Order: sequence, then structure tokens, then C-alpha cells
Amino acid sequence: MEEILFGIGISALAGALATVAGAAEDTESDIGSQGDPNSQVQLAPQMGYVHRIYNKAVSGEPPAYGLWVALAAGVAWALMAIQFNAILALVIGSAVAVFVQGVYATTAYLGRTASLAKFEQPVYIDILKSVTSVTMAHAFVAIFATVTMCFLMIEALGHPFPLPLMGIVWGIALGAAGSATGNPFYGKERQYQNYPFGAGLPISASGDIVRYAEAGERSSIDNGWFTSKGAGPASGICFGLIVFFELWRTILFEPFAAGWGAVIAGVVIIIVFMVIDRYVETWARNTYGPYNTEEAAPEEEAAA
Amino acid sequence: MSVKIEASEGGMPHDTMLGIGVVGALVCLYIVYLNSLMSTEVFAFFGGLAAVIALWWGTDSIKTLCSYGLGTGVPSAGMISLGSGVIAFLFASKLAGISPLLVPIGCIFIAAIIGAILGFISDKVLNMNIPVMTRMIAELTIVGSLTMLGFTAMVSGSFIFTDLIAGSVSFLGMEVTSYAASVIGGCVLATIFMLGAIAIQHPFNACLGPNESWDRTQMCALECGFLSMLVVAIMSVAFLSLFAVVISFAISVILWGWSYSEYIKLSKRDAFAWLDSKPIREVGGE
Repeated sequence: MEEILFGIGISALAGALATVAGAAEDTESDIGSQGDPNSQVQLAPQMGYVHRIYNKAVSGEPPAYGLWVALAAGVAWALMAIQFNAILALVIGSAVAVFVQGVYATTAYLGRTASLAKFEQPVYIDILKSVTSVTMAHAFVAIFATVTMCFLMIEALGHPFPLPLMGIVWGIALGAAGSATGNPFYGKERQYQNYPFGAGLPISASGDIVRYAEAGERSSIDNGWFTSKGAGPASGICFGLIVFFELWRTILFEPFAAGWGAVIAGVVIIIVFMVIDRYVETWARNTYGPYNTEEAAPEEEAAA
Repeated sequence: MSVKIEASEGGMPHDTMLGIGVVGALVCLYIVYLNSLMSTEVFAFFGGLAAVIALWWGTDSIKTLCSYGLGTGVPSAGMISLGSGVIAFLFASKLAGISPLLVPIGCIFIAAIIGAILGFISDKVLNMNIPVMTRMIAELTIVGSLTMLGFTAMVSGSFIFTDLIAGSVSFLGMEVTSYAASVIGGCVLATIFMLGAIAIQHPFNACLGPNESWDRTQMCALECGFLSMLVVAIMSVAFLSLFAVVISFAISVILWGWSYSEYIKLSKRDAFAWLDSKPIREVGGE
């Protein structure tokens, strides 16, 4: 009984860390315009809309976060192997990973923007100086929380995987959660605030992203301010629930049927969530209805 | 049938880069073997150099492959490169049972075979119909396996399988051999895998666009490679003597600093304008 209580407590703590990580990850990727909204930032100058938005095209978020978290975990593992204190090792590992993230971010912005010279998009050096540090700060929170969560799973719950392998698995999961949950807030709403809400993205509007703010010109940090209200917490809840349910079902149901209990519990959780998702979707469609105009605007899903 | 779009004009022919990549990486990997011959660890950083040379060549392979309209396929090409390369690398490291000298050259042959099969499946069975697909996937698999081999040699000073599964832990003052403290048992390979996979796709992914230029993309490849070397040097504290780690780290920092500043210079050269705290310049005049 005591063991189960301890396990549930660790699950709750890991879930809380994951929530913080998810929120920070999504805000970071929105500030840097990573993931699928990046395609519109990349397209805008080609349509004649020169902008001052960051263009952090490292790769999709899941592989990128797979690297940052696996790197933090790898460095922390190596430092722990030479008898460093675990907390210190995790902090140094995350700091090294954030340094690499920052360097990749700057090379992506410089490379993409310099390659758009034909469309007269200049390189704004002040963006590089002001925004890179903000994405690095958010990335540090996301990476440190995720690596600490992996460390807890290994040390407190006795997970058999070594730290770098846990890092790659949960890093990819973190990137996927943030990319799937948070990006619509930025890519489909924030970038197209000058079009009616829910209008979709007709081809004629491609690249016409919002470039001017209420006062002055829009900066990527304003996008972080916007998405930290809805997108960040939503991604955090998504990743937190993934981690919590994953650990919770294993701790409670693993003793049943030689481990199959946990597998069956996992399938049941997925079915329950599918029912909830379907209900929310039909409720939203019935309540708000489809978007109607004279000419139906075709939904254009931009490639990431 | 996909249409080829020329990514960038000029630069070195791809076959020349292939030659430099294969020969350069092999030479560097054989220099790492001097570690075993001379019972030292200071040559470990040559493994990192081998990986950087392979990445430099692989960037051009990705560019050739992705000039057939695979915009979003650039990161995927990096993943398949390392994903298939890791199989060839692990298989080749077992060849050390016959002779350690067989490992680097065997790695290239095994990777070429695996890559050709994967390329054939993608091209003909999945019907992607890209003329260079089979060759480029084979090249990318070789690049991926050489990158893994190089960074593994740099982190542990050896590419022999029996060394990769035996780490040492000091327990009550005694050195005990432990699988969990080894390169493979500790899964440092997972970190090396991601380092290589992002480093190989990033240069072309970051520099693509109408004004992409060969020297800037290749400089970005070197920069990504040296940056990965730098963190591999930090991780090698778990396996190598402090002297070898300091040498690896110092060389990586110098080379990374040089390549990063060169990359910024090239970006400045290619950019339309280089502005600091200036408003949006509307195209077509005010």
C-alpha cells in the first residue's frame, strides 16, 4: 500500500513537471515560429509581406525536442557517471542543451532570411539579439522539467531505461504534444487575426500574416505573450495528462495478469478519451456551426 | 516523376565531395585506432572530425535528394540517414572480432547495402519515383553510420564492440566493469543519434530558399558538426581521461567558433540588408 501511495505521489509530481514543461515548450516554439506555423512565416516575404517575425526552422518540434532533452540527459548522465551531484548534473546538462538550442536557432534565422534576399527580406539583427534569449529561457524551463521528470521515473519508480534513452522518448513526446495542441492557437489564430475568426486559410490569404501590432510592429515576443494564455496551458495539460496517466496506469495495474493489466488499462484510457474527444467535437460543431460566407473558403492546410 | 529544381549554382561537384567525404572520414577513423596501438586516448577527437567530414558530404547528398521538391522531407531524410546508419554501425563494430581494422571500411560496405535496399524500396515499391533516390539514400546511410562511428569513437576512444559494452565504475575504490556504465548500456548512443540526425538535416533545412548558396550551406554543415563535437567532448568525461577530454574540448571550441563566425559573415554577404532596430521595409516603396 505504502509503495503504491509513493508511486502515485511520484506520478503526480512527474505530471506537474510535465505540465510546466509542456507550457514552456509551446510558448518557446511559438516565440520562435517553429513547427507548422513556420511555413507561413517563411512564405510571407515571397508574397510581398516583409515582416519582423523570428524564423526558427530547426526541424519539426518532436525531433528538435528529442535532441534538446536527449542532450541534456546525455550530459547529465555523463556527469553523474563521474560522481557529480544529480541536481547539479541536471542543471548543467540542461544549460548545455539550451546553448545548442540557441545556436541552432540563430543559424536557422540567419540562413532562412539570407536565402530570401530575392524577395527583399532584410536580416533584422535586433530580433536575433532580443528574441533568441527569450526562446532559450523558455527552452531551459521545458528541458530541465522534462529531464528531471525522466530522472524521477528512473530513480524513484525504478524504470529500467538509462537517462539518455528516457530523454529521447519523452523529448519527442513533449515536442509532439506541444506541436499538436499549441500550434493551432498561433498558426491558425494569431497569424491570421486580420481575417474573421474561424475563416480557415484560403490560398489567396497565404502569407498575409499579421505584421503590425496595436502600436508599432509585431514582434515574436508578442506572439509568446498571446499564446502563453491559451496555447501554453493547453499543451501543458496535454503533456501533463499523458505523463500522469502513463505512470498511474503502470503503478496501479501492473500487478494484474502478469503486466497485461497495465496494457488493458492503457487501452481503456484511450477509448475513454476518444469518446470525450468525439463528444467535444460534435458539441462544438453543433454549438458554433460551420463558417458560412457567400463563397465557401476552402480550408488550406499548409505544409509544415 | 518529380521535376528537379536546381538548389544552388556552382560549388564543388557532388562526386568530388563524395570522394573527400569517404576518404577523409576513413583516414580520421583509422587515426583513432592509434589509441589502441599506442595505449592512449588523445586521438579520440579525430572521431569527431571524421563525423564532421561525413556530415559535410551528407549535407550535399540531402540537397541533391531534396532538390526534387521534398521541402518538408528534409528533416525526414536526416532521420532515415541515422536510423539506417545505426544498424550498419552496430553490425560493423562487431567485425572487430575478426580484425579491428575492418570496422570503418566494413561499416561503409554494410551501410551501402542497407541504404541501397531502403532506397530501392522507397523509389520503386513505395513509388516515389525520384531518379537519384536509391543512390542518395545509400549515401545518406553511409554518412549516418560514419557519423555514429565517429562520434562514438570520440566519446569513448574506441569503435570496437567489446569496448562499447564495457564501462568501468569505481566501487569502494576498486574499478568494476559494468554494462550500465558503457556507451551502449548507458544509451549515450541515443544522444549521439539525435545529434547526428539534427546536424545532418539542419544545414540545408536552415539555408533553403531562392538565394541558397553552396558555400554558406556547407559552412553551416561544418558549424553544426563542430557544435555536435563540442557536446560529445563534454560527454566523453564519463569515459576518457581528463587530458584527452580537454584536448577534444579545446579543439571543438576553436573550430566551432571559427565556423560560426564564418557562417555569420557569409549570411551577411548573402542577406538583402543587415539592419539593426529598423522598421519593416515595405516592398515596392512607401
